[in-house]
Amino acid sequence: MIRCLQIRAISVCLALCILSFIALLMTQNTYANSLEGLQQRLPKHVDAWTAEPQDRIFDRKTIFSYINGGAEVYKAYNMRECLSRRYTAPNRPFIILDVFDMGSSQDAFGVFTHDTDGEVIDVGQNARLRPGWLSFWKDRYFISIYAEEETKATEKALKEIAGQVAAAIPKEGTKPGILARLPLEGLQSDSIRYLHHPIVLNYHYYLSDENILSISAETEVALAAYQVGNQEARLLLVYYPEPEKAMQSQVSFLKHYLPDADSTGAALLEDGKWAAVKRKKQLLTIVLDADSRELADRLLKSVQ
Amino acid sequence: MTEKKRVITRRDFIRTGSRVVMGSLMGFPFIRKAAGQTSEKSRVVLIRDQNVTAGYGSLKEEILADMLDQAVAALFGTTDSAAAWREIVKPGDIVGIKSNVWGYLPTPVPLEDALENRLLEVGVDAKSISIDDRGVRRDSVFKKANVLINVRPMRTHHWSGLGTLLKNYIMFVSAPWMYHGNACEKLGSIWQKPHIKGKTRLNILVMVTPLFHGTGPHHFSRKYTWPYGGLVVSTDPVAADATGARIMQAKRNAYFGENNPISPRPLHIEAADTKFGIGNSHPDRIELVKLGWQEDILI
Repeated sequence: MIRCLQIRAISVCLALCILSFIALLMTQNTYANSLEGLQQRLPKHVDAWTAEPQDRIFDRKTIFSYINGGAEVYKAYNMRECLSRRYTAPNRPFIILDVFDMGSSQDAFGVFTHDTDGEVIDVGQNARLRPGWLSFWKDRYFISIYAEEETKATEKALKEIAGQVAAAIPKEGTKPGILARLPLEGLQSDSIRYLHHPIVLNYHYYLSDENILSISAETEVALAAYQVGNQEARLLLVYYPEPEKAMQSQVSFLKHYLPDADSTGAALLEDGKWAAVKRKKQLLTIVLDADSRELADRLLKSVQ
Repeated sequence: MTEKKRVITRRDFIRTGSRVVMGSLMGFPFIRKAAGQTSEKSRVVLIRDQNVTAGYGSLKEEILADMLDQAVAALFGTTDSAAAWREIVKPGDIVGIKSNVWGYLPTPVPLEDALENRLLEVGVDAKSISIDDRGVRRDSVFKKANVLINVRPMRTHHWSGLGTLLKNYIMFVSAPWMYHGNACEKLGSIWQKPHIKGKTRLNILVMVTPLFHGTGPHHFSRKYTWPYGGLVVSTDPVAADATGARIMQAKRNAYFGENNPISPRPLHIEAADTKFGIGNSHPDRIELVKLGWQEDILI
């Protein structure tokens, strides 16, 4: 009996040890993937620049005190936290590293597509370098590295910081699923934008002063430019949580934008371009600024 | 019967052929007047001096102060600036100068100093003058102020399209983010609040080195500023902003070599006119007085 109790006690202790070990591993993994965990691995010195002693961390409310109304862009992509590290060097411009934890790789990708001008460089999962500013995304992080002034030395430092930050983020993330619905023929991949806020859509392509497509945090939107031969068009995909919402938005779009659409949902606009709309279950497909009806039809049919 | 809100779309611009100016306020086809809005034209003075900047971040203080004096005299139609300043304030007034501290392009300190000096010259007590931005709601002078002077640089803005005189008053409300909806369209409503309404005697949109384009969280690169050397001065903030917006749009088009609309469309300027009746946004209702340097004036 005593021996039986001893065995049971040992088994319980062993089970507790294993559970604790698993919990510890999970905690370490969570910590390693958290902004705080990443903070420990961010570079403290790069070339002549040294990080100031204190980083600043902002949440969805305090981010306004940091980048004012510009914070709305990051909030529109569900930003959770932002870590800001400032580097200084004697008689040199300061450099600011901002690490945005967007909560998901889809939104990190999305906010990256907000500004895609600049030179493509090989950092993270996609990166751009412009004078004085480098941005890239990896996993659920969007990274901005800003130099007060653009010099050869700051450009080198921006790239160096970017490389070290990318290496400190252990894994890569997946892109939004809606992108797979974009037809590949003629797709201008640099033009792809992913979003879920009407103001962000208007930033890239002014559609309406009102939210006529009912774009919200629950909708996924992809916008892309196409060139097929010498003809161009834009394609807007909106994926709604329910078919009913997609149907309401289709009605709204036809009412406010294409009241003269024919039975197929297409219309020739006053500027000689074509626009068209089609819905399939939860997905609304809109072709804008198409150079011909044939291109508009082709794009509508090609969407997966 | 209530009037249904007119939904404005890109299609409307295409229909009216005004697509080339989309993003600016010129030729907007649906402008209406808000109740109570004056039918008079708003006078806006644009004054420029090519020597006001001595390189980026360095200003010729005397030239800037002289530009300010010339502008207020032209605005109020007085023979000298002292008379104009006496129309703006009286010795017993309590004056809050609403400035802007945005780190990359703040209101120039020499301009703040010039404003303070002019107020002192009129006879306003030094203790009755305060210059502030983010602390205006806690500032004891601002709390008692019967006169406000609004001064800030013009720049592009990620969410409202433009950082404007209208937008500069967002610090007078406790929850600024409540006004960020639909590209900050409702900023004009702040100007109707009892502690603000009717107090603003002068608006100065600083366009010495405006920022005409921006990207990223810091939204600033010196590359996208230019030495315009201007001040846009008016008692009507909407008219001053609309004038500044036209200059910004023209600069963007010239720089990028194609129509490059201010984005997002700065809805708050026309909404301040058509919805809130703060002032005039359409060029037809603005009397623009141009003084000084005319080269590359863009308007």
